[in-house]
Amino acid sequence: MMETDILVIGAGPAGSTAAKHAAIGGANVIVIDKKSEIGTPKRCAEGVSKDGLKKLGIELSPRWIAKEATGVRMVSPNGTAVNLTEDKVKLPEAGYILERKIFDKHMAMDAGRAGAKIMVKTLATGLRREEDQVMVTVENMGEELEIKAKIVIAADGPESRVGRWAGIKTALKPKNMESCAQFEMAGVQMAEPDCIEFHFGSVAPGGYAWIFPKGDDIANVGLGVLTTITDKSAYEHLLEFVESNPATKNAQPVELNIGGDPVGGLLKKMVADNVLVTGDAASMVNPLTGGGIISGMLGGRIAGQVAAQAVADGDYSHKNLKVYEKLCEDELGESFKKYLKAKEYLLSLSDEELDEIAEVFKDSDFETINTAEMVRKLVKISPKALLKLGKLF
Amino acid sequence: MIVKEWCMYCGECAGVCPRNLIEVREISLNFNEKECKDCQICLQVCPVQALEKRND
Repeated sequence: MMETDILVIGAGPAGSTAAKHAAIGGANVIVIDKKSEIGTPKRCAEGVSKDGLKKLGIELSPRWIAKEATGVRMVSPNGTAVNLTEDKVKLPEAGYILERKIFDKHMAMDAGRAGAKIMVKTLATGLRREEDQVMVTVENMGEELEIKAKIVIAADGPESRVGRWAGIKTALKPKNMESCAQFEMAGVQMAEPDCIEFHFGSVAPGGYAWIFPKGDDIANVGLGVLTTITDKSAYEHLLEFVESNPATKNAQPVELNIGGDPVGGLLKKMVADNVLVTGDAASMVNPLTGGGIISGMLGGRIAGQVAAQAVADGDYSHKNLKVYEKLCEDELGESFKKYLKAKEYLLSLSDEELDEIAEVFKDSDFETINTAEMVRKLVKISPKALLKLGKLF
Repeated sequence: MIVKEWCMYCGECAGVCPRNLIEVREISLNFNEKECKDCQICLQVCPVQALEKRND
């Protein structure tokens, strides 16, 4: 049997950040990940904001930055494009396109350097409470082991089971879980190769399609759908999108990624005795953009700090850990509520309405208008924007 | 439940199962059918339709 102060389950960006900050806080930390290679296969479109990385104090490295995206191109169902550049409009997830396979490992290495012990190919199979600690059973290279920990940080992704073992309701309703499918493709001919591209409307019911450039003719081409409003799978929608889009119709996939994206906003309950849930497992994903790398790491940092403090206090009770929920709500929850409203508005628009809006905005000079003016303009074309967005911005 | 060979073990089904009956390992998916109440949420969310209801 192994013993530790804090056991982090899952070495994605949120888990590794939690481990790093828990170790910096003076706790003994073990991180386990079920995969033999951390970060593989990737499970997202790899976009992060510059501000986000800065806020987290992460030093940039060309090893894991595939490309810098300087703008956003939004395309309506009939192909009308609105181009925004980041110096003109603040965009939540624009900045860098990562190479997740390297970035995730980099973050884990950072945790390791801070003092955390990392165990790869180690799957958590169960959890039980023993006195005031928890006993986690794991499988490591076919061998069963037990790890005794004071606190478990569950960073086991959208399929989270660890939180549920501890009695936290992490199972999501299908309307809060976007089904995503993505190809990494070569031979992509983008209209604006320095922009990340979003396609809205019936091309991806309940979500959107994206083309994120990774350099040369390579891009992540994917989409997310809500299964509650379409009968087709995300993969079928992706095939249709790739075939119909001029940028991708001659491109070839070299990788297929699939998986869920929890877009319902922060979980209400993220804490139990001895257990904190973070990252995708706690739904720390911007409900509008579906982006969750930065928010997951911000949540992970709080989890690590709170857990380390609890170890120092010698109190791992639900009551002592509950401050985590409050801090996450302050850091993420408030803005998520805004984004959720904006998403509701976006989803309420028909293809025709989206085309109309794009038509008005396509020639706009964004240099001279700010978000409030954008909303004002929007209200003129689409009166329901007033109802749904008027008070938000 | 029948798991088709193109399952990619993304775990999305496990994430939505309200009874916590699906366990996804690196290259395997275990389904506790005895406890299943046939809500079929797992079938709906699979991005590649790799799950199919068994017709017994």
